[in-house]
Amino acid sequence: MFIHKSSAFRHAALACLFLGMSQAASAFTVCQVTDTGGIDDNSFNQTAWKGVLDAKEQFGIEGRFLESQAETDYEANLNSLIEGDCDLIVTVGFLLGDATQKAALDNPDQRFSIVDFAYDPVVPNILGQVYATDEAAFLAGYLAAGMSQTKILGVFGGINIPPVTIFMDGFVRGADYYNEQKGDSVSVLGWSIETREGLFTNNFDSLDDGRAFAQNLYDEGADIVLPVAGPVGLGSAALADELGIEKLKIIGVDADLYLTDPEKRHVYLTSIMKRMDATVLKTIEMARNDTFEGGVLVGALANGGVDLAPFHDMEALVPESLKSELAEIRAGIIEGRIKVAP
Amino acid sequence: MQVELRGITKRFGEIVANDSIDLTIREGEVLGLLGENGAGKSTLMNVLCGLYSPDAGEILINGEPTVFRGPADAIQAGIGMVHQHFMLVPVFSVTENVVLGVEPTGLLDHLDLEKGRREVREINEAYGLHVDPDGLIETLPVGVQQRVEIIKVLFRSADVLILDEPTAVLTPQEVEEFFQIIDYLRDAGKALVFITHKLNEILEISDRISVLRRGKIVGEGDPAELTRPKLAEMMVGRPVTFDVAKAPVDPGPVLLDVQDLTVLRDNDEIAVDQVSLNVRSGEIVGIAGVQGNGQSALIETLTGLRRAAHGTVRFDGHDITRVSVRKRHTMGIAHIPEDRQRAGLIGKFSVAENMVLNNYYSSRFSSGPQVNWSTVHKSTARAVQDFDVRTPSVFEPVAHLSGGNQQKLVVARELSREARLIIAGQPTRGLDVGSIEYIHERLIESREQGCGVLLISSELDEIMALADRILVMFKGHVVAEYDTAEGPVNKSSIGLAMAGAAL
Amino acid sequence: MNETQQTMSLNHLLKAQRGGRSRFEDLVVVPIFAVIVALILGALIMLATNVEPARIAQSYVALLEGSVGSLNAVSETLTAAAPLVLAGLGLALGFRAGLFNIGAEGQILMGGMAAVVVGFSFSSLSPMALLPLSLLAGALAGALYASIAGALRAATGAHEVITTIMLNLISYRLLDYMLRLPSVQKEGRADPISKSVPEAAELPRLLSAIDPNLRVHAGVFLVLLAVVVVYWILFRSKIGFEFRASGENAEAARFAGIRSGIVIVAAMATAGALAGLAGANQVLGVLGRATPGFSAGIGFDAIAVALLGRSHPVGVLLAGLLFGALEAGGRQMQVDAGVSIDLIGIIQALIIVFIAAPLLVRAIFPWGFRKTTGREG
Repeated sequence: MFIHKSSAFRHAALACLFLGMSQAASAFTVCQVTDTGGIDDNSFNQTAWKGVLDAKEQFGIEGRFLESQAETDYEANLNSLIEGDCDLIVTVGFLLGDATQKAALDNPDQRFSIVDFAYDPVVPNILGQVYATDEAAFLAGYLAAGMSQTKILGVFGGINIPPVTIFMDGFVRGADYYNEQKGDSVSVLGWSIETREGLFTNNFDSLDDGRAFAQNLYDEGADIVLPVAGPVGLGSAALADELGIEKLKIIGVDADLYLTDPEKRHVYLTSIMKRMDATVLKTIEMARNDTFEGGVLVGALANGGVDLAPFHDMEALVPESLKSELAEIRAGIIEGRIKVAP
Repeated sequence: MQVELRGITKRFGEIVANDSIDLTIREGEVLGLLGENGAGKSTLMNVLCGLYSPDAGEILINGEPTVFRGPADAIQAGIGMVHQHFMLVPVFSVTENVVLGVEPTGLLDHLDLEKGRREVREINEAYGLHVDPDGLIETLPVGVQQRVEIIKVLFRSADVLILDEPTAVLTPQEVEEFFQIIDYLRDAGKALVFITHKLNEILEISDRISVLRRGKIVGEGDPAELTRPKLAEMMVGRPVTFDVAKAPVDPGPVLLDVQDLTVLRDNDEIAVDQVSLNVRSGEIVGIAGVQGNGQSALIETLTGLRRAAHGTVRFDGHDITRVSVRKRHTMGIAHIPEDRQRAGLIGKFSVAENMVLNNYYSSRFSSGPQVNWSTVHKSTARAVQDFDVRTPSVFEPVAHLSGGNQQKLVVARELSREARLIIAGQPTRGLDVGSIEYIHERLIESREQGCGVLLISSELDEIMALADRILVMFKGHVVAEYDTAEGPVNKSSIGLAMAGAAL
Repeated sequence: MNETQQTMSLNHLLKAQRGGRSRFEDLVVVPIFAVIVALILGALIMLATNVEPARIAQSYVALLEGSVGSLNAVSETLTAAAPLVLAGLGLALGFRAGLFNIGAEGQILMGGMAAVVVGFSFSSLSPMALLPLSLLAGALAGALYASIAGALRAATGAHEVITTIMLNLISYRLLDYMLRLPSVQKEGRADPISKSVPEAAELPRLLSAIDPNLRVHAGVFLVLLAVVVVYWILFRSKIGFEFRASGENAEAARFAGIRSGIVIVAAMATAGALAGLAGANQVLGVLGRATPGFSAGIGFDAIAVALLGRSHPVGVLLAGLLFGALEAGGRQMQVDAGVSIDLIGIIQALIIVFIAAPLLVRAIFPWGFRKTTGREG
């Protein structure tokens, strides 16, 4: 059924192209506007687009995207989509926040969803997708504390902004929770929840910094390091690769780095995943069956919007007891028994 | 060896640089090639050197028609050129420069400098050149460097030597020595082409003379039967006066007074060493000297472009030692720069823009922040007429003008402002006879109107013809002073002073 | 020569000679051919990357439609062109003065930032006062920022290419830092984003009565004014004469008594003021606020605009419009034909390459041009 519909659309679309016209197609269409990172940014835009592609496969919808080269493109790109045939417009990143809001207010009948941003007060036709990253980071902190031989963990960030520090908060609290439960004294270098100060590379692209920061933390005794700075972390992974995983392990962020960094995959203990694809898929599903309404969709452990990646090669290194404790905590967080933030 | 050019024609677009030229170069003979700038001398020689291929005509070597596909063919055929601008590597020795490009090599590409050195010595002996094969080029005087260029050509077994304006860079003494070398070469059976626009020299050294004007041979003859005025008339196309008519000097008060002036070069070497001089109104003071003896630094200091390290400069009673370039302009000092293309004009700018290059801000040409271009254009058009600058319009970029017209434009600019002191650096360098004559007349005219003129020139003839007083500079010092009012000045004595003999 | 003859030849000297056909070819024919060649090559590249011919045709239709095909398209073209022309004018002026200013990007950021800060700090003022004040702040900040490079060059000889590149880098970080200051950062926002300027500081949209989405704003008048002013500075004013003289032949300018230090600083400051205005134009006309790197490379595109415009104000205006049209049309290509935005960038670059290399175009279309003589060629 779906297949039929979709191929019929393709024929229709091709016919339209040949005629040089752009008629409204009948299939449910999702349009994504990227921020300046572009569709293949190995990050938010790409992951969100994966959600659209998943929806395409599962529900037989149509999807297309517009890339923005500059901030001035946002409004223009949104305007050009509004004149078209999009049933849902997905925008990505806080930079598009204002442009999306303006377009939504001007076009109350058009449904919008924005990834990694939300509005307060709520805009009735925008669904914001945000992530309780600290839930997964909390698990990672507990895991790392349990795995550390030196009882010292390390963390550093790209820039001191909430989307980064939320990882660090969760990670530190997870380790603290471990100490509380076990009466241990595992310490985390690189972030202080109280003073909101810590280690930051102040960029998201220098692999050298990733290496140097990890080296510093390693020199201070850390044997597991969490770099929260996008590609910078690849530099840390290279160091771990040289030192050997018995001396230094890395925890990835955003995606499962075991899969996206195959060369150094053996150094990753796990990854704290932000499943933008899952929340986008969920949003599309809601829009299709008309349960869509403005507000906030929080990606959390409960709905698979954030998660801890599998241990892959390190499966055997992680004690079974620790695994069952993690499962317990996970259930606790989902049920609300364990608070990851005060 | 005999080289014959037959009906050589070379066109650049619509311009005919060489128009069916016939010329014969014989061994054991010096052919003098005379012509103004732009007459087609260089084009013709470049054809002979294989750099240009002619549009029509042929080159015969010993009666055989020969086609040069490039300079290498010409060298192969035994034709060598000594360029006006030396092509030497300053940090290399004489021998290294001579062998450059045709290095004698032994086994496994081993550079056999000893062989080169031997050959340089042999050439030295054969032609009386006296050049140390191991001397470093940058330490050698200009005259010796020129001989190195000649050795280079001879080393490549040239039988025909083309000498392009060879005396332009030499002192009078060096010219004498150079002529001796030419005699040696002639006696050894070489064929020589001596290119120049200097009439005295061509009459002195040539066996035959050909005169080129506007791409054509306009006259040929035996130097014994030719005179300077006759040659000049052939070259320019009209009678030329040589003796600049000037009234006896009647100098007024001192305009420029320089005391104990010391000036440093950029590298802190002393360029001008405790020089004192003065220029009175209504006289022309000439500074003779081989280039590079501090004249440029002296001019730059007098015009405010370079700081004086010590001493004072007074103009009209005011101390101007630290006064800006512009202030000096407005006080009445005009400056004809030595290098008009680099410092006197802006090639891409129009004639009108260049005409106001250093007085656009005057109330004549501007109001408030704005330049009144229509006034500038009208005033330029008049000046262009007055000073006989040949240009299609005042909007023409000066780069399109000939050297003579460019210099006339500079002179027009500097003399049309109400200047009382004119500082003229090499005002006729590289110009044709007609333009030289014109500029000389203008300088004399300014003198007669009461201006003071400070003339710096490396052309001794020019200084002798114009100056009322002559100072000779050598290594930053004024080493000799002559006053024409006290009787005729001995040219060879000035030449000796220029070479430093008076020290 | 009698008197009438003399007047006649005077008039002859005063008659400007038209550049003739070769100039016309350079200014009109070459760009047209350049665009054609670039489009053909672009089509070949699309073919090579498996884009169907029908979609190629469709994308070119979209390029045309998106740039001039509708009121909205023209509005987008003008909106995109405005900052490019403003910054390009500044760079052109610098080039004329012999200064290769790479720092427009940084000057744009500083100018934009200053305009935003003044805009939201004095929000109680009336539009008649606030808008000019904000624009002035932008121009001033750009001028001051560019003068740093000018002063360094004048005082120490440090080359402006190096210093302006470094100042660009500093400006990025300075902007990041400032956007995080509590006095600048938007209330309630964690990310680096400034407070929005009040409506009184915004460059009003011109066609909002027809359609509120038409983004063309009063900045276009600013652009036209800037073109006239820069033309006047360069070709009518004394300081402009000094700029051009120093740029063409610094030695001759020095001999003419022009003080190079003053010229360098003044030219850099003027260029910076124009770049700063470009930044103000963006934040006050399009964005309404400042965010990290809001210029997105306008300062670098403007270098191409200035070079393409042969450093002439009118040329810069036309080149800026071309760039604006390519940007707006390129967006439409993406929307209508789904052509990758990178491909659009390639076509834009090809057009620039061919316009910048007239000899190449002449070589490709030998029949389109009159034969030039050997010496000129």
